[in-house]
Amino acid sequence: MIREEFIKRSPLRILEESIHGGLGRGNLGVFAARKGIGKTACLVQVATDKLFQQKSVIHVSYSSRVDYILKWYEDIFHEISRSLSLEYATESYEDVIKNRVIMNFNQEGTRTDQVLRSLEAMITHGKFGVETIIVDGYNFVESLAEDLCKFKDFAGRMTQEVWFSASLKGEEPLFDDRGLPRELERVLGAIDVLITMKYKDDKIRLNVVKDHHYPPAGELMLSLDPTTLLIAGS
Amino acid sequence: MSQDIMRLRNIGISAHIDSGKTTLTERILFYCKKIHRMHEVKGKDGVGATMDSMELEKERGITISSAATNVSWLDHTINIIDTPGHVDFTIEVERALRVLDGAVLVLCSVGGVQSQTISVDRQLKRYQVPCLAFINKLDRSGADPYKVKAQLKEKLGRNALLMQIPIGLEDRFEGLIDLVSMKAVYFEGSQGEVVRKEEIPQELRAEAMKWREAMLNEVSLFSDELTEAILTGREPEDLVIKAVRKGTVTRELTPVFMGSAYKNKGIQLLLDAVVRYLPNPTEVENFALNLDDGKEVKLRPDAEADPVALAFKLEDGPYGQLTYIRVYQGKIATGSELTNSRSGQDFRVGRLVRMHADSIKEIEEAPAGDIAALFGVECQSGDTFVGRGLNLAMSSIHVPEPVISLAVSAADNKSADNLAKALKRFTKEDPTFRSYVDPESRQTIIQGMGELHLDVYLERMRREYNVSLETGMPEVAYRESISRRADFDYTHKKQTGGAGQFGRVIGSIEPLADKNYEFVNEVKGGRIPREFIPACDKGFQAALRKGKLIGFPIVGVRVRLLDGQSHAVDSSDLAFQAAAQGAFWQAYAKAGPQILEPVMKLSVEGPTEFVGHIFASINQRRGVIISSVEDGLFARVDAEVPLSEMFGYSTVLRSLTQGKAEFTMEFLKYAKIPAFIAEKLIAEGQRSQKG
Repeated sequence: MIREEFIKRSPLRILEESIHGGLGRGNLGVFAARKGIGKTACLVQVATDKLFQQKSVIHVSYSSRVDYILKWYEDIFHEISRSLSLEYATESYEDVIKNRVIMNFNQEGTRTDQVLRSLEAMITHGKFGVETIIVDGYNFVESLAEDLCKFKDFAGRMTQEVWFSASLKGEEPLFDDRGLPRELERVLGAIDVLITMKYKDDKIRLNVVKDHHYPPAGELMLSLDPTTLLIAGS
Repeated sequence: MSQDIMRLRNIGISAHIDSGKTTLTERILFYCKKIHRMHEVKGKDGVGATMDSMELEKERGITISSAATNVSWLDHTINIIDTPGHVDFTIEVERALRVLDGAVLVLCSVGGVQSQTISVDRQLKRYQVPCLAFINKLDRSGADPYKVKAQLKEKLGRNALLMQIPIGLEDRFEGLIDLVSMKAVYFEGSQGEVVRKEEIPQELRAEAMKWREAMLNEVSLFSDELTEAILTGREPEDLVIKAVRKGTVTRELTPVFMGSAYKNKGIQLLLDAVVRYLPNPTEVENFALNLDDGKEVKLRPDAEADPVALAFKLEDGPYGQLTYIRVYQGKIATGSELTNSRSGQDFRVGRLVRMHADSIKEIEEAPAGDIAALFGVECQSGDTFVGRGLNLAMSSIHVPEPVISLAVSAADNKSADNLAKALKRFTKEDPTFRSYVDPESRQTIIQGMGELHLDVYLERMRREYNVSLETGMPEVAYRESISRRADFDYTHKKQTGGAGQFGRVIGSIEPLADKNYEFVNEVKGGRIPREFIPACDKGFQAALRKGKLIGFPIVGVRVRLLDGQSHAVDSSDLAFQAAAQGAFWQAYAKAGPQILEPVMKLSVEGPTEFVGHIFASINQRRGVIISSVEDGLFARVDAEVPLSEMFGYSTVLRSLTQGKAEFTMEFLKYAKIPAFIAEKLIAEGQRSQKG
């Protein structure tokens, strides 16, 4: 079956090991990089991994149209099916994505309170119990530090893990000497796991620069293939 | 004659239900001098807008049936097809779209692109209809045409281009700035009939220049001549118009106009735009199917060629049956002989008329490209009329299978007669509305595309035909199917006096995607004589008509006939039909039979404060939420929900959201129903069979 196989062989197991068993409920994780490096691809793979495990995922998006997001999932699923042997590809896409809800907030400057209110409505009224929330396109640079803290409180209260993407827009050097993005300095306190992404040797390398209260693992044996946008062990 | 065709526009006005489409149509008729007084949709004077010809539509303030009307503007003839706005009646919309050459997509400046707009837009794209957008209700509080223009781009993926900007908005809405002529335009007189053009007010000049530049920038892609002219610093109006026209006709541009139909502002400029930018019939390619060889034939919009016309709409009016036609080739003239290519019937054209909502004008002929109506022609909607010797059919309009049914019965004899008349008419007018008599219960069953769809017809039976009706509970059109392969080896044998019956069939049945049934004959060496193979096929098909779980048709089955046995004397067609049926039921029980139910694509839209209620209402109906999109104050939730759970949803939604949310729903797919519901249905089926 593709499920067990995928779960077992997924390079995300390496990521989980590198961050001491995963992000964990009540915690916030961030993939940070410049635009176009593959943050959304990483988020969609984290989500797809959960979906394969038959866990529910809410994908919150600020930036894209819903059909773009749907396309992301289709593409990633397609690539995964192709990367595993073809006999597994019979698992239907519909079966995998039926536990996913997309929530798109497409007006610039939607307030975090509003987003969290709707998320809570989905989980309680929509009876959509989730463990993982994906947030793509959240504006870390222009948002207030307290907004991220609201997400943190929400994750704690609702016992979920929340994965973000952070688009870095500043001038070089982007990172300080510990490898932490300078733009995220003021919100570091609320972030539990921080992974930066850099283009190096034709691949996109993943670095864990913050890992709960542990010393971070640094550059991982993981990279993103720029053609398929799949995370792979290297 | 060709000059006349060039001056013809066949347009539809497509829109979300409350965007003011009917008021807009009414204004168009008024400015084109087709009517002398204007009413509102829900008129205080109790008259109602002219295009809304049906009683029920007047009461509900909606337009269901499309009426064609003919107007003149700037030396051009415009045929307007008024299209319904509700998605339950899409067949009407789709039929109307089929015969159009262009459309005006009406949007509300406050509500913007709503779920119904998206449905309508999808249809416009499916039929490749070039389109202008008209942003209505600029006088309303909260009006924001710039936001709506952005939504046209973001939500509908249209290359929307502002051709005007407003002078003031909401209660200060005064007029428009035309970005082509760079003039301020005001609409004066008691009914906006006096169009006054002025210099652009000083304070709006910079803004107007900015939008004009944006417009020119986009439009210049369609004309090298214009690009050159822009480089030299002068942009002649006619070049701009030509380029916008090119972009519009090729569907690469959607020029955006605006105004307030209610306040009589902007309509004349929209009419100018229809004439300027939407295609004439010669600019649109139309094809027919040659029924002799199955090949596509391109039709020539030439009045001298042999005639070809499509009957796209039937209406039983006070003057008898009216058949709306669109002429694609040649001309249709009174007295000419035509053939209905479906039935093969010949007929002579009697009265030929042009329609204006409820009034009629006799005409002598309708040339290629024109829309007219015939009296007293026996036909069905979708039939093609051709000149003698031609055997063409306009490619058929996609007709979806009905998903819901309802038992109806008349309370008395008089009603029964009228019910029969009403059903005859409605089923002829609307191919998605069907009726039949159930052979077992002897009840009349009506079928349609949704609850509202059937409701409207029930209302019409009561009102227009005075039928006093009793109705059953709406019933979902379930299907049965199989989930795995199973073998059969069945012998039908009967020898009880007289001629015996013998037939044996061996083979298998297996699930088949995307198709209802397939029969594969792999019998070798004449084990079943060739003449009995069709009988086997027929027997299997007979079995599929009614499943054993809950008595609904079985779909998605491939039958492989591998082997069998026959008897020189006792084998017959009947024996093999019976053998096939017996074999099917033998295998069906082993093939993991399951029940499928229609699943609808649901889109609910309302203020964000109600999203919790909306989520809950979907969840309680076994729905799967696909996405929720929040755009400031409004949210749209898309979901997939079984039809069986959606009865009465409009009432529930209204009460949950203080009437502020609305929904659209269309058939999406058949899907397996959960086991606990299947068990319930099977138990109910068995109970009713015993009873």
